[in-house]
Amino acid sequence: MHEMVPEHWLIPVKEEEKILKLLGVAKGQLPKIRKSDPVIKTLEKVEGEIVPGRIIQIVRKSRTRGIAKIYRTVIGE
Amino acid sequence: MTTLAWKDTLKKVKEIIDKAPIGYCLDYEIPAEKSMKEALITVTGKTFVAKAKISKITPYKNEKNILKKKKDKLKTLVMIEKIEEIQDDIVNYEEVNGESIDKILSFAILTRKEEAKIELREPMEGKLSGEVKSVLRQVEKEGNSLPIKIAEQLANAKKQYNIGEKDFDKLLKVTVEKYKETEVDPFEAVGIVGAQSIGEPGTQMTMRTFHFAGVAEMDVTLGLPRLIEIVDARKTPSTPSMTIYLSEKAKGDEDRAVGLARSIEATTLLDIADIEVNTTEGFVLIMLDKQKMQERGLKREEILPKLKKIRMQKTTITEEENEIKLSLDEPSFKKIYQLYESLKTFQVKGLDGIRRAIVKFDQKAKEWVLYTQGSNLAGVLELKDVDFARTKTNDIIEISQVLGVEAAREAIIEESTSTLHNAGLNTDIRHLMLVADMMTFSGTVEAIGRHGISGKKASVLARAAFEITSKHLLNAGLIGEVDRLNGVAENIIVGQPITLGTGAVKLAYRREE
Repeated sequence: MHEMVPEHWLIPVKEEEKILKLLGVAKGQLPKIRKSDPVIKTLEKVEGEIVPGRIIQIVRKSRTRGIAKIYRTVIGE
Repeated sequence: MTTLAWKDTLKKVKEIIDKAPIGYCLDYEIPAEKSMKEALITVTGKTFVAKAKISKITPYKNEKNILKKKKDKLKTLVMIEKIEEIQDDIVNYEEVNGESIDKILSFAILTRKEEAKIELREPMEGKLSGEVKSVLRQVEKEGNSLPIKIAEQLANAKKQYNIGEKDFDKLLKVTVEKYKETEVDPFEAVGIVGAQSIGEPGTQMTMRTFHFAGVAEMDVTLGLPRLIEIVDARKTPSTPSMTIYLSEKAKGDEDRAVGLARSIEATTLLDIADIEVNTTEGFVLIMLDKQKMQERGLKREEILPKLKKIRMQKTTITEEENEIKLSLDEPSFKKIYQLYESLKTFQVKGLDGIRRAIVKFDQKAKEWVLYTQGSNLAGVLELKDVDFARTKTNDIIEISQVLGVEAAREAIIEESTSTLHNAGLNTDIRHLMLVADMMTFSGTVEAIGRHGISGKKASVLARAAFEITSKHLLNAGLIGEVDRLNGVAENIIVGQPITLGTGAVKLAYRREE
């Protein structure tokens, strides 16, 4: 893996609500990631098809926080 | 396993599917010694539409009950046992000798590329030490949270200064308190603060571009023009360049580094030869320049097979010492010039887009590094000897296409900080992170400006306040857009308190009964 690509994790549908509640936002308000994104395509080989609307957790190596977790919603195209 | 692939018309493919199993005649000579059990048929040359199981390949002889690709000039008979429609792309295949192929012109013998193995990375969180985890747990117990970086520092301090449990509890409490003080308040105008923090040092940057920085002989845009380029999300930067790191094995080896640099430099036929057109007799003469070829590490024998690969009108190739003559079977003024044009830009060697590559020794890391003019990330990452984890390009759009939005976000931060840093300016990285976050919010890299983020604001008035006022107002009037007055600009326009800081808080008086 390229060092510029952070960890991408597919969040189980069951846990989505808990995360959204913690962040206090609706699914549509999260940053987006395209289904055709190279990382999502690779993740699909591991997790099976990822439909738009699923939430991806991204664990970055952050310069300010050490490790930072953010979330993106998968969108079509 | 090797696979035969040929180009055909859709009509013929349908006919075979209808009549299979059947013999099919091709107008190519296929080497018989290859044992092939499979055939792929393409219509466009790039995607395969059918896969056939073949039982036998024999030289052509006219039999009954066979289909023909053409009426005459047939050379091979292929017995098709079974055929099915498929969808596959040529990118999944390569030639038998390992060379990549991007289009099938007549026929080819291919092997399927090995699929890249996906290795799961160990999660970063799992690598945290027990002490850090216990600090985090302790903080969490009280309903607070601390960044991992601070937790690490605390854990280190505890060990270093031998802090007792009681004192550490106190320290933790103070840390959490101080940390909360530094957090951004709700409704703070982070965007404005960020814009000012980048803008102020930006005024000190020189408008003049300084070239030739970093690596000698290499031309890289720096300073304000580069910063503008980054936030504008240009399709291609004005000076695309790559930094290629070599793998563990190759990084100490100069010969391998130089060899790699030579092999990726795109070399066109015109770079190594003079091309002459003779219109009266209808031939093109390629005069190879020995010296230039040596500089580029090319041999005469390598060029001829490659020339055969390009699509040409029916030509005969004759070879003499340092001269290659291509003559048309049917001389035509137009065709000879077409041939000349295609030969001029014909790429003999290298990767698309990479104009030059320079090898340098990094004294600090004790390794050879390649710097290139021009960029082709996808191509370079596939090469042997390349460390694909560290190799970089300064083309942010390309990164987003090859490595995804998250990598592009990282690249925006990295490029903008290094640009500012090179100019001797220090901007807090958080401001640049905000810019990068906004630019990649939609899943693609968007520019900041008329065509990007500012032009896509929800509010009409905010858009009209930015640029091209009349167009936005007219369009909004035509379709009956509604402005909910949630943002800052629109509230200034209508003369209301803005939705920032204390203006965002609404107070109501509750009468006590």
